[in-house]
This record gives sequence, structure tokens and C-alpha cells, in this order.
Amino acid sequence: MKEVKRKEYYIFSPFLRIFHWIMVAMILILFVTGLLIAKPLQVMTPEPTYTLTSMDLVRDIHFVAAFIFCASFILRIYGFIINKGDRLFPRVWEGHFYEETVDVALHYMLLKPHHASFLRNPLARMSYAALYAMVLVEILTGFAMYYMNDPNSTGGVLFGWVNVIAGGEMMTHLVHHYVAWFIILFAIGHIYMVIRAEFMEGESEVSSMFSGSKILAHTPKDACELE
Amino acid sequence: MEKRESLWDRCLDKGISRRSFIKSCVALTSLMGLSTDCLSKVVEAAEAKPLPVVIWIHGHECTGCDESFIRSASPLASDLVLSQIDLEYDHLLSAACGAPFEAHLEETIQKYKGQYILAVEGAVSTKDNGIFCMSGGHTFTHLLRHAAENAMAVIAYGTCAVSGGIQAAAPNPTGSSGIKMFVGNKPLINVPGCPPIPEVMTGVVMHVALFGAAPPLDGEGRPKQFYGNRIHDTCYRRPFFDAGLFAENYDDAGAKAGWCLYKLGCRGPETYNSCGNIRWYQGMSYPIQSGAACIGCSNPHFWDEGSFSDRLPKYDKIGDADKIGVGLAVMTTAGVAAHAVASVVQKGQRDVQEAQKGGAAE
Ligand code: HEM
Ligand code: SF4
Repeated sequence: MKEVKRKEYYIFSPFLRIFHWIMVAMILILFVTGLLIAKPLQVMTPEPTYTLTSMDLVRDIHFVAAFIFCASFILRIYGFIINKGDRLFPRVWEGHFYEETVDVALHYMLLKPHHASFLRNPLARMSYAALYAMVLVEILTGFAMYYMNDPNSTGGVLFGWVNVIAGGEMMTHLVHHYVAWFIILFAIGHIYMVIRAEFMEGESEVSSMFSGSKILAHTPKDACELE
Repeated sequence: MEKRESLWDRCLDKGISRRSFIKSCVALTSLMGLSTDCLSKVVEAAEAKPLPVVIWIHGHECTGCDESFIRSASPLASDLVLSQIDLEYDHLLSAACGAPFEAHLEETIQKYKGQYILAVEGAVSTKDNGIFCMSGGHTFTHLLRHAAENAMAVIAYGTCAVSGGIQAAAPNPTGSSGIKMFVGNKPLINVPGCPPIPEVMTGVVMHVALFGAAPPLDGEGRPKQFYGNRIHDTCYRRPFFDAGLFAENYDDAGAKAGWCLYKLGCRGPETYNSCGNIRWYQGMSYPIQSGAACIGCSNPHFWDEGSFSDRLPKYDKIGDADKIGVGLAVMTTAGVAAHAVASVVQKGQRDVQEAQKGGAAE
């Protein structure tokens, strides 16, 4: 039997963890209802009184989920303020960030057997920044479509410019739709990388999003950042 | 300078009664989207304001906007042209032609400098110095610049004048664009549509004529009273949309039952126009009512925004975004699985190496 000494590092506040799981649920709901909005189910009967295809309901679920998702960012930002472990953005302004990113990337390309141990893997952090950017695009384009039923309303004034930048409201729909797919592609990659880290590198990634702690065998390079 | 007539003067000339005059003012008020409280203002303006001089020029286009315009019912286009505005020059509707006609244009521009309304239909072709669109020996760009320079306000009629229209559709061989770049800082009113609704065309010019100013405009320079809503939000088929009842084909039971045309590519959800409320030709109908999905003809780039009969553009044989998305997701999953296998192999090698090293050290 092999004995390994491990140390527990508490990183993620409950606010971040709750946010994370709200986000998972909401993105799933938004994605499914969104696809149904673009391609509604077919009514299979000429007598539609009791059909279950209400577009109104699907759209309402999409919108409620959208508002919950947006509101949940309050948790994320609150966690960022009170807890050192909840970081919003990768530390791109620190020089060593880039070397470390290359190091990790080389390992993921199977060119290097190891990568240094991190509490916050720089490459993963970059991918989360990309996710947040995509979510921001979804939120901007989403509200731009949502509020334009009255262009003179506050929401219409706040988000109307998105349609101008997109080059027309049809384009806003397409951007919203295409970016939704990229979020799903991210999710596939993300789930894989997390499971891989758990089993290959012995980093307790999966459980950390429940317990808030990572239990690591090696001292991570960025351990000092928690102090 | 001779005294210019007002609308009321014209009525007196023609022996039209005060009662009929007030009636047309009421019609005008509602047409311009004003509340009835404004009636007295409209009457005052119609009594006192001289009839506006209008110069109407045509660029790169099909003149379909005129076809629409001459079908305006309230006010009747004939009334408008003959008694409610002073239409001094019009490429299409004028009987005169040739050098005297061009001379008259120049005369009008000089005589009513800063007072006339310039109505423009059609795109501006800009490539090769604009030689693709000429009249009277000049390029249209020249005429437009000159006429706009001395105008009081400019009205862009139709999607072509607003943003280039069909001429500007890819690959846009004539370099066509909307007129915005050519009118300087003159007030510009955009009246898009391919063509615009007749009553919208007459309503806008009457508003400028009576109040001497542009009506309230939205962010894209369109009059709010006519372009303030999406067709989708004013469409009489909207209850079918909300209930999820869609025509799947133009000849299925749903289409016959008058269900929503969303799945046939209807652009109502992103198109701003009055088709849903004013409708066309005295409220007779509009495309969706007649069973055809909206093609979004008042949107700037509607020619290039995918097939008119699909919600999502299709990319040749590959399919639309949803098909591509599923494909990419499958490929990503396969890639990830391959990476997992490779990682396991690598880890195996690593462990063996480490074990050997560990063995050597002992
Ligand atoms: C991760 C987040 C989101 C995803 C994955 C997502 C996904 C989608 C998809 C795939 C569509 C269909 C697009 C189309 O072809 O028209 C859609 C439509 C829409 N979404 Fe989202 N969405 C997200 C967030 C939001 C947010 C934050 C809002 C804000 C209210 C929003 C509002 C809308 C609206 C208004 C529509 C159009 C509905 C219609 O055309 O009737 N979405 N969404
Ligand atoms: S027919 Fe078009 S505009 Fe009318 S409700 Fe359906 S999608 Fe909207």
C-alpha cells in the first residue's frame, strides 16, 4: 500500500459553489429552451386544443432562467469580495502566468509528462474567462432581443445598441444562437478536464466544487496566494 | 418673391368647404400618429404654412416605392401631389423632361434654398465614381450632394435609400450604399421598407411639411410612430405563436388554419414596421395576413440574412447551426475521449519511469 501525504486547501466560498451549480442548471435550461424557441416542436395533431407545445411557456422558462442566472452573479461577486479563493479573472498581468500557461498547455498536448501543481490552473482560468465572456455576450444579446418589444423602455435604451453593433436584430438572434453552442462545447471540454484532473493528477477537482477544498499531494505553486 | 399658398388657400381656390378642410386635418392628425389634442395645431399649420416645396429624386432602384406611394389612400396620393405639397421635380412622376426640366431643378434649388424637402428613393452607387447611376449628364452622387446641401430636410424613402437595398446585397458590384454619407448634417428621416407602406410615406412628408421639422425619430433615424414596434408584437397571428401552433409548410393544415409562420422563416420577430397595425392598401392585408412569411424588408441587410424561408441560415450541404453544433459536440466528445486514452497511456509510461527511478535510488 502506498501512503501519500496530502494537505487540504480551502479555496471556494459557499457563494461561489452555489453560484456554480445555479449556473450549471440555468445554462442547461437556457440551452434546451433556447433550441426549442428556435425550432419549436411540431404539433402532431390537427386538433390542437390539448397540445403541450406552448411557446409562451418555453419562452417564459427561458426568461425566468435568464433572470435567475443574471441574479446569481451577485453571489459570485460577493464571494470574490469576501474570500481570497474566489477569483474572477486570471492573473494575466503577472509575468509568470504566461510561462505557467505554456507549461500546462504542453502537458495537455501530451508533450510533457507533468505540469506543476496549481490551486488555480492558469489554462483552466483562461477558459473560465472565455466562458464569462460568452455568457456576457448571451446576456447582452438576450436582453437586446427581450427588451425591444418596447424600444423606448429603459431596458430598450440600455440594450438597444447591441442590435446596432450586431448589424441588425436578426444578427443578434444568430449571435445568441451560435454562442449558445460554443458554451456547450466549453462544457464538454470542462467536464472532461475536471474528471481528468481528478483521476490522472490526483487533484480533487470534482469534490472541490462541493466541499470548497482541494486536497493535494504536492504543494501547489500558487499556495501563497491564499494567505 | 410671390406669396406661397397654404393648404387652406388651396382649398379656398378649389371651392372646398371649411368642413372638408377640417375633416382632412383630422385625418392627417391621426395619420401622423399625433393625439387628437394636436388637431388645433395641425389646423393652424395647414392654414398658415405655405405648401412645402418637394424635390423627389431617384437613384439606384426599381421605383417600386412609387408604386406603393401612388396607392396611398389617406391622404390620396393624387391629393398630396396636386394640392398638399408643391412637387417641383420628380424623376418619375413629372411629365416634363430634357434640358428645360433639369434647368427647372436648378432654378427650384436656388429659389427655395434651405426651404425645400428633398425626398430620395434608391441607393447611391459609389463605385467607379458613381457612373452606374446617372441622370441629366451627372452622376447621382453629384445630384444628391447638391440637392441635399440646400435642402431643409431629407427623407430617405425605401430600404435602398436608407441602407442600399438589393443593389447593396452581396457582392454589391456597384458599391451601393444608403444616402446617409451624402447628406451632410441635414436632418435625415429614414423611411425603410421594400417598399414602405404608402400611408407611412405620405404621413412622413406631411409631418415635415406641416411642422417644418422631423417627427420623433428612433436610434436608427426612423419615425417612432411608424417604426416603434416589431411586426411580431403587433401581428394578429401572435396568439398562434404563443400557443406553439406553427405552419410547417405553405400547404399544410396549419397554414390553412392561419397558424403562425415562424417556422417558415418569418422575420416578424426582428422587423420594425407598421404592417401589423396600419396594414396595406386601406388596411386590406399585409404579407403575413396573405399567408407569406415576413421577409423583414425594412431591415438594413435583409437580402443577405439567410434564406427567407428558414429561421437559421443553412450552409450548403452541411446544414444549419444546430446540425453543425451537434457535429462539433460529437467531434469534441470524440477528441476528448481520444485525449483521455492518450493521457492514460502517458501516465502509464510516467509511472513505469518513476518506479524505475525509485528502484534505482534504493
Ligand atoms: C447561457 C445563456 C443562454 C443560452 C445558452 C441561451 C440560448 C438561447 C438560444 C439557443 C436561443 C434561440 C435563438 C434564436 O434562434 O432565436 C435563445 C433565444 C432567446 N434568448 Fe437566450 N440564452 C441564454 C441567455 C439568455 C439571457 C440572459 C436572456 C435575457 C433575457 C436571453 C433571452 C433570449 C431571448 C429574448 C431569445 C429570443 C426568443 C424569441 O425569439 O422569441 N437568453 N436563447
Ligand atoms: S407570423 Fe411572424 S410576425 Fe406573426 S406571430 Fe408568427 S412569427 Fe410573429
